[in-house]
Amino acid sequence: MLRALKNRKARGWLLQGATLAIAILLVATFVLTARHNLLSQGIATGFGFLERSTGWPINFSLIDISDRSPYWEMLLAGFLNTLLVGILGITLATVIGVTVGLARVSTNFMLNFIGTVFVEIFRNVPLILQVIFWYALLTHLPRPREAYDIGGAIFLTNRGLIVPAFDMSSADIALFCAGFVALVVAGVVLARRIGGLAATALVIAASTVLFLTLLYTGRTPDAPVFTLPAMKGLRFAGGFDIKPEFFALLVSIAIFGGAYVGEIVRAGFLSVDQGRVEAARALGLSGWQVNRFVRIPLAVRAILPALSNQYIWLMKATTLGIAIGFPDYFMVVSTSINQSGQTMELLALLMGGFLVINYAMGAGLNILNGRLTLKGRN
Amino acid sequence: MLKHTIAAALALGLSAAPALAADPGPTVQKIMDRGTLLCPGHNGSYLGFAEVDDKGAWSGFDIEFCKALATAILGSPDAVQIIPVSFAQRFPAVQSGDIDVIIKVTGWTMSRDTELGLQFSRPYFIGPTNVLVRSDIGATSTADLEGGVFCINAGTSIERIVADYMGARGISYESLTFEKPEELRAALYNGRCDALAGFGPFLAATRFNAPDPDAFEIMDETLALEPESLAARQGDDNFIDVLNWLTNSLLFAEENGITQANVDEVRANPPSASVERFLGVSPGYGERLGLSDDWAYNVIKAVGNYAEIYDGTVGEGSVYKLPRGKNKLWSDGGLLYTLVLD
Repeated sequence: MLRALKNRKARGWLLQGATLAIAILLVATFVLTARHNLLSQGIATGFGFLERSTGWPINFSLIDISDRSPYWEMLLAGFLNTLLVGILGITLATVIGVTVGLARVSTNFMLNFIGTVFVEIFRNVPLILQVIFWYALLTHLPRPREAYDIGGAIFLTNRGLIVPAFDMSSADIALFCAGFVALVVAGVVLARRIGGLAATALVIAASTVLFLTLLYTGRTPDAPVFTLPAMKGLRFAGGFDIKPEFFALLVSIAIFGGAYVGEIVRAGFLSVDQGRVEAARALGLSGWQVNRFVRIPLAVRAILPALSNQYIWLMKATTLGIAIGFPDYFMVVSTSINQSGQTMELLALLMGGFLVINYAMGAGLNILNGRLTLKGRN
Repeated sequence: MLKHTIAAALALGLSAAPALAADPGPTVQKIMDRGTLLCPGHNGSYLGFAEVDDKGAWSGFDIEFCKALATAILGSPDAVQIIPVSFAQRFPAVQSGDIDVIIKVTGWTMSRDTELGLQFSRPYFIGPTNVLVRSDIGATSTADLEGGVFCINAGTSIERIVADYMGARGISYESLTFEKPEELRAALYNGRCDALAGFGPFLAATRFNAPDPDAFEIMDETLALEPESLAARQGDDNFIDVLNWLTNSLLFAEENGITQANVDEVRANPPSASVERFLGVSPGYGERLGLSDDWAYNVIKAVGNYAEIYDGTVGEGSVYKLPRGKNKLWSDGGLLYTLVLD
C-alpha cells in the first residue's frame, strides 16, 4: 500500500478516484435529500406527468400540437422551437459576421466605417433590449384588417408576415426537404465521378426537375399546391405566418451575434502573419489566390475556437424568447412547471436539453477544429 | 342585570374548569414567535390585489387579507411583512417557509391540492374568468372571436380555462402567453392580440390603465368561476381553521352590519349571543383556535368587514369599480355565506 503511494502514477489514479467518488457521493446525497424533502412535503415526484395532457396550447410549433397533447410532446415542440431559432440565428449571425468582419479588414474607407458603426452599436446594447426593441417595432405594425398588402399575396401585420405556403403538413415538409437534399447529394456524388463543374450543375438541375415532377404527380389529385393567405374573420386563413415573436428573436440573435462574430472574423484575419502573405505574393500568387490558399485557411484556424464559444452562447440566448412570448424550450418548461408543479423533474429536463444541444455543437466544432489544425510538424 | 349575572357565573364556571385552549399549531406558533407574518406580495403590480406605492406602502385586496391575518394572530395590522413573490414562486416559497401563507388570488385546483403538499381554506374570493376585448372588433361574445388571438398570463389556470371553453364550442383561436403582466398588457394595447382572457379584477385594472380605456370592454360572458382560496402547507390543521374563520369573520361582520366604524358600539351592546361571542365579549371564539378571544374584534377594527375591504380595494370605492358580482353575500344574490358560529 505504502509502496503504491510512492508510485507517482498510482498516487495520481488514487487521487482522481477519490475525487470522483466524493463528487458522486455529493450529487447522490443532494438528489436523495431533495427527493426525501419533496416526498415528506407530500409533493409527487417522478416523470409520470409527461404522459398527461397539458390542457394548454402553444401558438408556434414545428410539430402538430394542441391542448390535448401530452407534456412530452409539448416539451419536444419547445425543444424544436429552440433548435430552429438557434440554428437559423447562428447561420444568419455567421453570414452577417463574416460580411462585417471582412468589411472591417478591407482597405475601403466606407466599408470599414459602416462595419465599425455596426459593431459598436449592436455589440454594446444588451441583447434583451434589442429583443424587446424589435418586438415593439413589429407589434406596432397595423392590425390584420389594415395590413400592408404586398401584391395581394404577402401581408405585413402585427400578427406577423403572412406568406403563401405549401399546402402540406409539417411532417410532409420535413420529408420533402429530406428527399430533396438526398437527391441533390446523390446527384453531386454522381457528378463528381463523371467530373466537371458543368456536369455537377446539370445533375443538380436534373434531380431538381425529377423531384418536383415526382412531387407534383404524387400529390393528392386536385389538392392545391400553394395556398394564398386571405382575410377570414379576425385573421388570415391559409398561407404561412412568420410570427413577430419568432422574427424579433431571430433578428436580434442574428444581429447581436453578427456583431460578435464580425469581431472574431476580423481578429482572425489580423492574426495572419503579414510575412506569410508577402511570401505568397512573392511566389507570384494573385490577390485571389493569396486569399484562397493562404489567408483564409490560416484565419479560419484562428477563428474556430472563439467562434465555437460564440455559437454555444447564442444558442443559450434563445431563452430570451420568454420575454416576448416565444414558446422556446425554456418558456415551455417554465409554463409546465407552473401548470404541473413538477419543478425538479422539469428543471432536470431543461438542463439536460441544453446540455445535449451544446455538447453536440461543441463536439461537432471540435471535430472540425481538429481536422483543420495544421498537420505535420509537432 | 340577570344577563350579566349569568355571564359572570358562566365566566366563573369556565375559569374554574381547566380551559381547553387549543394548541395553535406549528405555523401560528412560528408566526407568534417571530412576531411578524410573512405574506406574499406580487412584484407590486397586481393592481387591486397587491400594489405598492412609491413610498413602499402596500395595498390591495390580498394585502388587506394579510393585514387581517396578522391582526388575528398578532393583534396588529402592521405585524406583516410583504415578500414580493411571483406567481411561479408562490408554491416553492410557502414550502420552503419564505412565506407563511399564500394569499395571492390562488385557485383551488385538484393538482395543487393533491400533489403540491398544499391545503386550501374555504374560498375567500369568487374569481370569474372574463374576456377583455377591443371595442372596434365588434365582438359581443366569444363566438365573434373566431380566429382571434388571446393574450394570456403564462402558467395560470386561465390558459386551461380558455382552451377548454373555446375547444368545447369549436371556436378556433390562437393563444399568446407572457410571463409578466406588463408585457401582457402592452401586447393588448398595441393590438398584437384581439382579446385578453383573465381574471375579472385583473381585466378591470388593465382596462383602467389603458392609454384609451374606452377602446376596450369586458364582455358579459363568464368563461369560468374559480374559487380563490388561501393556501398553506399541508399538515397544520389548526392554521387552516384560522384561515377559514378569518374569512368567515369578515363575512360574518358584513352580514351582521358590523363595520370598522361601529364595531366599538356593537361590542358595547351586542345584539345577539353569537355577535357577543364573535367580538370576544363572551369567550370561545379565540380560545378554540389558540388565539385571543377578541381577535375578530381586532380584525374588524383594523381592516373592516368583507364589504369594506372589497369596496376600498377593487369595488366602487376604488378606481377599478369592479361590481361585487358573485362575491355578494348569498342574501344579496351572491355566492358567499357565513359558517355557523355556535
